[in-house]
Amino acid sequence: MLALDGVTFRYAAAEAPWRFDLEVAPGEIVGIAGVSGAGKSTLLDLIAGFLIPLAGDITLDGRSLLTEPPEARPVSILFQTDNLFDHLSAARNVALGLAPNKLPRAQRQARVQEALDAVELGNFSNRVVARLSGGQKQRVALARTLLRDKPILLLDEPFTALDPETAAEVREHLSALIAAHRWHTVLVSHDAEDLAAVGARILVVDGGRLTPA
Amino acid sequence: MPRYWGRVVAGVVLAALVAALIGAMLASLFVASARFPGTGTAGGDIFYLARITIVQATLSTLVSIGVGIPVAWALNRVAFPGRSAYVAILSMSLVLPALVVGFGVIAVWGRAGWVNQALATLAGARLPGTIFGLHGIILAHLVLNGALAARVFYNRLATLPPATLKLGRSLALGPIDRFLVLDWPPIRAAIPSLAALIFLFCFTSFAIVLTLGGGPANATFEVAIYEAVRIDFDPGFAALLALIQLAICLLVILPAAAWPLGAALVAEPAPIRHWPDRGGARPLQVGIIVIAAALFGLPTLAALVGGLQPGGISILGSSAFRAAFATSMAIATFSTLLALALAMVLALARANLALVAPTGPWSAFWLRQVIGAPAFAYLATPAVVLALGFFLLARLTGIPPRHLAPFVLVLANALLALPLSAAILGPPLERLTARTARLQRALAISGWRRFTEIELPLLRTDIGYAAAVAFCFSLGDLGVIALFGTGDFATLPWLMYRAMGAYRGSEAATVAAALIVLTILAFVAIPKLVSGVRHAGA
Repeated sequence: MLALDGVTFRYAAAEAPWRFDLEVAPGEIVGIAGVSGAGKSTLLDLIAGFLIPLAGDITLDGRSLLTEPPEARPVSILFQTDNLFDHLSAARNVALGLAPNKLPRAQRQARVQEALDAVELGNFSNRVVARLSGGQKQRVALARTLLRDKPILLLDEPFTALDPETAAEVREHLSALIAAHRWHTVLVSHDAEDLAAVGARILVVDGGRLTPA
Repeated sequence: MPRYWGRVVAGVVLAALVAALIGAMLASLFVASARFPGTGTAGGDIFYLARITIVQATLSTLVSIGVGIPVAWALNRVAFPGRSAYVAILSMSLVLPALVVGFGVIAVWGRAGWVNQALATLAGARLPGTIFGLHGIILAHLVLNGALAARVFYNRLATLPPATLKLGRSLALGPIDRFLVLDWPPIRAAIPSLAALIFLFCFTSFAIVLTLGGGPANATFEVAIYEAVRIDFDPGFAALLALIQLAICLLVILPAAAWPLGAALVAEPAPIRHWPDRGGARPLQVGIIVIAAALFGLPTLAALVGGLQPGGISILGSSAFRAAFATSMAIATFSTLLALALAMVLALARANLALVAPTGPWSAFWLRQVIGAPAFAYLATPAVVLALGFFLLARLTGIPPRHLAPFVLVLANALLALPLSAAILGPPLERLTARTARLQRALAISGWRRFTEIELPLLRTDIGYAAAVAFCFSLGDLGVIALFGTGDFATLPWLMYRAMGAYRGSEAATVAAALIVLTILAFVAIPKLVSGVRHAGA
């Protein structure tokens, strides 16, 4: 269980602090809605470790994550854009999800190919990602998420930059992977349809608190 | 867009004047080389000079870039108290007088230098050979340009987009992957222009080669030109050398004419989001920072400490020092004002054309290049060549060079600072113009009002940097004064060089220390002074 217990944060210029209480079960998708500036992305940054809360705790299966820096947290993130390094190939981008030097080269390549196959991009492994479409890029990022296989998945408007058809396709891949790997997923979106389409339990950030929709 | 053309015309006129000046100097070199034929051995000398200068500049460039990258990498990773000051000191390398650095290198690595003294005390040993020669030149160039390279690369790393850093950190990239994936692309992009710039600095090196060259075997074109004029009095040979050097420099600078470094050379980068590497990389980074501090800092420190010797302090009260100080200050002030005015006119013209160039007619695009070209041509025109052009122009027109000296020094130093001043002011002005042009037109803000109310206040920081660089360039110049300096007309570097030549080492050390202090004060105070005007006016 991923739990946020009284997690409090305040930007210097803000009038009042945010206080987040949240529980996410394995395989569950919690959708976070709210207007711009409500604190949706701040919530993700707190879980990922890019922001440090003033008070409260963030735990995974009872273990506090607060002492761990972002790179050590059991978290994968999918942003709206900029999920990939455009100058690298799809395979190299996916391979960055593997811990360095832990596997022989052949095994690394096999696992990368397997992940790309899982998102139906097996034939694009050597293509520089700058030459891929928006939907293909998100699927490459998904392949890397799959390879990392971290228990917490944070999604920051991952469908916003995609056309409706491609978004539906990426959503389908994503839902299947979350169900299969039982990731604790927090999905931020300003689009209620996106949240509903992946079967998320929807919460709204309002007045600095999370409330049921 | 008719309202932009007033500024464009001013830029074109100025560019034409600068081009005419370059043309006059080139013509004087041609006429002189025809009127005073060179010596019979000139061919062999020139071939050797070209070879040794290219070898020296290439090695200096490779070493500087090779050292600059790991220093920038280490500084990007390790947070420590005083890191901002460390980075600021790296910036100083751009403006520290080369003569002072050469002097400092001797004080550290010379026969009686700090390193040999320490070795003798600790191990009863000494470094083999002397510091004079090709290796000494490369070491001094490394002190100046390695620090500059580290500063530029550090700036590139400090301005990586936050989203990219966030992504890299969320992927827990290890030190090697992090360098290859995040750091290397911006570093690689900066290398061509930076390498061209460092190559030019080293190829046209004068003061360092003069102090550390150890004789004609390691002379550069600059030194050979100086010796041809001042020692052999062979202006024809000097003119021939100057033309060859100009041609080689142009070959280097033309491919790098885009000059994307700009304010990255001196500007303060955004605070770094701290993300330390783990494991074995960290001790390596700390080690690099310590070694680099010694490599880059010790020569300046040694020059400063050497200047405090009682034997040399007395020069501070002499009339020669007071006169040289006043001359240096006056020339630096006037040349800075002139360089800023010229750079601003050219940058304003280019910025206005930038609005029409991307979508407008080809003529606008080419006009923009034409306006910029003369300013950038001076990158390829080293100080001694510039001074020689003026020197020969004076002789060919019958004017005694000493009568022209103050004006030539102001003009030549302004022109030498012009490329960097234009490079610092140009990009932010173009961005500002592109961003606000529609709003300014909608509000009918134009002309002088536009300059004083929109452009000047928003560009004060950049103007401050440009002014500081121009002032320090002029303050430390030895190349121009070397041809015009006399016992009666001296700047501080010329006074120092004469003291060195007369084996009055302690006096030279004190002048060197004075130059360091003045350079630091100017480099720190001028940007603050210019920014302070903004605050006062706000």
